[in-house]
Amino acid sequence: MIWISVTLSAIAQIFLKQGLSKLQKNRTSGGIGSMILGVARQPYVWLWGICFVLATALWLLGLQKLDLSYAYPLVAFGYVLVNIMSALFFRESVNRNRWMAVAVIGLGVMLIAGS
Amino acid sequence: MNSNIANTEAVSSPLLIEEAAKWEPRSLRGLLSQWWVPFSASSIFVVFGHLLIKSGLGAAAFTATSGSIWMRVLHCALQPEVAAGLLVYMLGSLCWMIAVAQQEISFLYPLSSMNYVLVVFASSAFFHESLSAKRLSGVGLIVLGMILMNRKGRVSEQ
Repeated sequence: MIWISVTLSAIAQIFLKQGLSKLQKNRTSGGIGSMILGVARQPYVWLWGICFVLATALWLLGLQKLDLSYAYPLVAFGYVLVNIMSALFFRESVNRNRWMAVAVIGLGVMLIAGS
Repeated sequence: MNSNIANTEAVSSPLLIEEAAKWEPRSLRGLLSQWWVPFSASSIFVVFGHLLIKSGLGAAAFTATSGSIWMRVLHCALQPEVAAGLLVYMLGSLCWMIAVAQQEISFLYPLSSMNYVLVVFASSAFFHESLSAKRLSGVGLIVLGMILMNRKGRVSEQ
């Protein structure tokens, strides 16, 4: 339950970034009203919302049975997923050092999962 | 007027000159245009929100053991503390959205791991959860990973 929630959250972040990046490219005028409207009209932002709601629902169910200090750090697995997906989909350059850091975080998550 | 906004941004976030140049003149100014302000606010809201949620779920656990999965979710979400926690958490997400619009995800996301340290120690303090050496070293590794990630491979240094 917690793992599905974490994966959905990471996917949600990718959708959000995609949506906001598209928005940034298309923007022509200022105004907070038009910005909010623009955000609300972005399909990717909607996808983010759906993933976010599902992830939150699963999170609540999972958290009911687990320690917060156990479940919450497992979300760090999202770093691993987001780095992989950012590199794949946005072609953000992820260098070797960052991959090493991702590996360290992954190790930490595994330790917590086994605690 | 528009050029004024663009100038302020370039000065207030020198690490993001490239981003700022790409970013059209926009309406979110002042504090919110400096990514670390919405980011820090998001951190505080997210941690506090989760403490509220967990606290409320403890009460819900006694009454919601059966029923369909969505009814259980609804039951949980309607606990006053859970609802308040979710609201605070949403506020944190809003701040996160504002920060994410200004910085790359693979840069901001690792920084938010500070939330995990805060949550773990707060869980121990408020809910008396026992922190095993394994769990603490796991969190330590996450923080180490965060530091590694932010020392090298910053967006602005590439």
